[in-house]
Amino acid sequence: MADSDTSTDAHKLNVYQELLSPSELFEARSRSHKIPVKGQKDFLPDGSEKQTARLQQSLDEHWMLLGEERVERLGNLVKAVWILEETLVELQSPAGKFWQTMGFSERGKQYLRPEEALYLMECGNVQVFYRDLPLSIQEGYEHFLSCETVTLLQYQVFGHLKRLGYVVNRFDPSSVPSAYERQLNLPASSRDKQRKQLKRKRSHSPVSSEKQNTSPVEKTTAEDQSDELVKSSESPAATDLPPQEPMQSAEASDRTWWIEGDVQPPPAQAQSTAPRWDFSSISFPDLGSRRSRSVCLASSDRSLLPGALEVGDCDVTPWLSRLNVKQEKLSRRDRERQRERDRYRRDVNSDREVRRCRNWAEYLQLLEERRRRQQKDRPAHLWEREVTPLTQPGQCASHRELLDQISIVKSSSWTEGVSRLSPSDQWKISFDVYQPDTVAEFKKNHPGKPYSRMCVCSFDGPVPDLHAMKQLSFQSGDVPVTFAVVDHGDISFYCFKDFKLPTDVY
Amino acid sequence: MDGDPADMNVSQSSSSMEVKEDMDTRSDSENQPAGDALVDINFCGSTPMLWKVSDMRRCRSVGVIGALVGSLARQPRQNVRLGRPLELLQEEALLLVETGSAAASLHTQDCADEEMHSKDVRQYETGLESSYKEQCALALEDKKTVLRRIINEKENGTDDSGNAIRDRLNALDQAFCFPLSAMAVQLCTARAGFSHCPEERSFLSTDWPVPRDERLNTRFCVYRDLRNKGFFLTSAGKFGGDFLVYPGDPLRFHAHFIALCISMDEELPLCDILSIARLGSNVKKTVLLCSPQSRNETGKDESVEGDVVYSSLQWSSMV
Repeated sequence: MADSDTSTDAHKLNVYQELLSPSELFEARSRSHKIPVKGQKDFLPDGSEKQTARLQQSLDEHWMLLGEERVERLGNLVKAVWILEETLVELQSPAGKFWQTMGFSERGKQYLRPEEALYLMECGNVQVFYRDLPLSIQEGYEHFLSCETVTLLQYQVFGHLKRLGYVVNRFDPSSVPSAYERQLNLPASSRDKQRKQLKRKRSHSPVSSEKQNTSPVEKTTAEDQSDELVKSSESPAATDLPPQEPMQSAEASDRTWWIEGDVQPPPAQAQSTAPRWDFSSISFPDLGSRRSRSVCLASSDRSLLPGALEVGDCDVTPWLSRLNVKQEKLSRRDRERQRERDRYRRDVNSDREVRRCRNWAEYLQLLEERRRRQQKDRPAHLWEREVTPLTQPGQCASHRELLDQISIVKSSSWTEGVSRLSPSDQWKISFDVYQPDTVAEFKKNHPGKPYSRMCVCSFDGPVPDLHAMKQLSFQSGDVPVTFAVVDHGDISFYCFKDFKLPTDVY
Repeated sequence: MDGDPADMNVSQSSSSMEVKEDMDTRSDSENQPAGDALVDINFCGSTPMLWKVSDMRRCRSVGVIGALVGSLARQPRQNVRLGRPLELLQEEALLLVETGSAAASLHTQDCADEEMHSKDVRQYETGLESSYKEQCALALEDKKTVLRRIINEKENGTDDSGNAIRDRLNALDQAFCFPLSAMAVQLCTARAGFSHCPEERSFLSTDWPVPRDERLNTRFCVYRDLRNKGFFLTSAGKFGGDFLVYPGDPLRFHAHFIALCISMDEELPLCDILSIARLGSNVKKTVLLCSPQSRNETGKDESVEGDVVYSSLQWSSMV
C-alpha cells in the first residue's frame, strides 16, 4: 500500500512502490473484509471544518480501500498459464468451485476463457502466468481483452453481472434452436433425454443396458393406456380394435372433436367458383355423434371418381372404434371456460336454420340468402359509388376482425420477414445470462434456456434501429435480448419489447 | 421555461480555487513527488486507464475524478464499491496530458528481450523463495508469542498444563513447519516493477487512440473550462447529458448541474431541450447548455483559450 510515509521512497523506487514486503504479506492475512459505509452527501461546500474533516475521512477510506493489494494463500490459488496463440488460459492445478459455472475441458485439459480468467484474477482465485512470470491485473486487461476475445466494454458487462452472481457464458449462435425445432419441441426432448442419461450415469449403471430397459417399459405403459381406453369405451365395435397403433393421448386431442366452433366455409369463395358438384346429393356424414350412428356410408358417386375406380359401401365401424366416442366429461372449470367461450363464439350447429339444412347445397343457399338479406339494407349512396365503405354492419363479430378489415397499414410483429433481412455486423449478442438462483443446478454442458441474452453497446454509439432489433430478437429465439449500455464504467440495462396493441375489446 | 445565461450560476464557484488550494495543502505529502513524476495513463484499447494508487491520488488532487471499473480487492463480488483500475474520460486524460501532469502510453507487449526476461524470472523466483523464508520466520515468531501469552495467563493459575505448553514452545524451533501452501502471495494490481519499460513513455499526441473530432473538441473545451472554474465533473450518460457538475468532491457532494455540450452553430430540436429540462428538474439538477465560443469570435489573442457560453434551463413558474 502506498501510504504517504512511503511515498518519498516511492519517488525513488517508483516502479516498485506497490509490491508488498514479506512482513506486509504476512500481516495481510488477518486484515478486515468490511467495507466502510458512505455517509449522506452534502449539498454545498461551505468551507466549514466539519465538512472538511468529513471529506478527508471519506478520502482516507477511499484511498485505503483502493490501495489494498490482493493477498492470497498460495494453497488457495489455482495456477494457470496464458496461451497467447489460442487466446485461452490453461489450468495447471485443480480448479476451484468456480468450475461449476466457468471454463471447459478439451483434450483432457482444463481451460478458462480470457474474460473468465481475468474475472477470477480480480476475485483472487486464479494466478495466471505468462512466460514464467505472474500477470498483474493490469497485464491481464492488456493481454486478454481484444476484439478477437472480448472487448473492454464487454468485459465490464461480464464482470458486472458476474459480481451480481449471474452465470454468464459467451453467446453461441448455433446453440439457439431454430423456430422449427422449437415448434416441434425438439431441443427440450433431446435435452431431457440427455439429462436422464446423466442421472443414470451417476447411479453407476451403464447407459446402454438402461436404455434397453426403458423402451419396453414405455411400451407397456402405452399398451395399458390403450387397454383402458378399450374397456371404458361403450362402443360394441370396440372389441375388434385393430391391435396395431394404439391411440395415445386420445383424450387430449379429441376433446375439440365436436365442439368445433368456426367451421364456417368462407362465403366469398363459394360464390366465385361455380359449383361443379351437385351438392344436393352429398349428405353430411356424421360419424362422431353417438345419437345417430350409421354403420355404413353409401358408396360415392361414380362420376366423381377418377377412371375405373370403384368404391363400395364404406363400413365405418373400424373408424368408429378408433374414435373416442366417449361422452365428453368436462371438469367444472372446463365447463365454465367453455361457457365463457360460447358467449362470444357462435357454434354453427346451434344455428337452427343451419341445422335444418340436409346437405351442402341447402347450406350454401342459406348463406347466400343471408348475404342478400344483408345487402338489401345497404344504402345506395354509400355502396353504389366508386368509393365504398371498408366494412358493413354485421360483417365482423369482434373488434379485432373489424380493425383487421379497416386497417390500411397492417401491423407487423418482430418475427415477420426477418429471414429476408441482411445480417448486420454492428449488432451482436455477446452473452447468455442465467439467473443466480439457478447456479446450484447449473450444468455447463446443458445450460438450458438462458434468462436473457446481452447485447453490449456504448452510450457513444447509436441506438439500435428496428432492423437490428428484429435481427437480434430473431437470432435469440424465444429468449429476451437485453441491451447493456456502458457509459464510462457505469452500466445500464435496457430492453425493447415487441408490443401488440390490444384490438380485441369485448 | 427561461433560457438565461448562467453566469450567475457559474460565478457561484468563485471558491473553486480555494477548493483546489485546500486539496493541495491537505495532500502535501503525496503531491511532492508529483513535481517530476508523471501520471502514467495506460490505454486499454482506446480507453485511458490509471492503475497506480499514487497516480490516482495525484489526479484527484487536480480534480480529475474518473470512474472505478475493477473489482475491489477487499470484497470482489459486489458492485457497490469498485476498485482499480480507474477509467478516465477522454477529456480527463487530455487535460492531464495538456497540463503536463501525465504521460500517456500505449502498452507494448514483451518489450524485454530474452536475456532480460530470464533475469526477471530468476528475480521473481528468488524473491518468492526469500519471501517464503521470511514468512516462515514470521509465522514461527507469531506462534511463539501466542504460546508465551498463554503461559503467562496460565502461570496465574495453578494448572500444570502450563508446563506442557512450555515444552511445546521449546520444541517449536525444531518441529515448526510452515507449509508452502500457507504462504501469502501478492496478486499485483498494477504491472509489476520489473516488467516496466521506460521506452513506452514516448508517446506522441498524434497517436491518441481516439480522433480529436469536433465533438470531442467541444466536450473538451467545456470540460476544461468548468474544471478551471473549480467544478468536479463526471460522466452523465444516465442523465442524458455530457457531464455531471459537482460543486465539490463527488465523494461528499451531490451534482448540481447536467452539462450538455453543443457547439455554437449546432441546432438542437426543441423537444430534445424540453425532455432534458424535464429530466433535469425531476432529478433536482439544473441543465446547462454549454457552447464554446470560437477564438476569433471572442476577438482575443490566439493563445487565449476560447470562452464557453452557458445557458441554464429552468421551468418557469408563470401561471
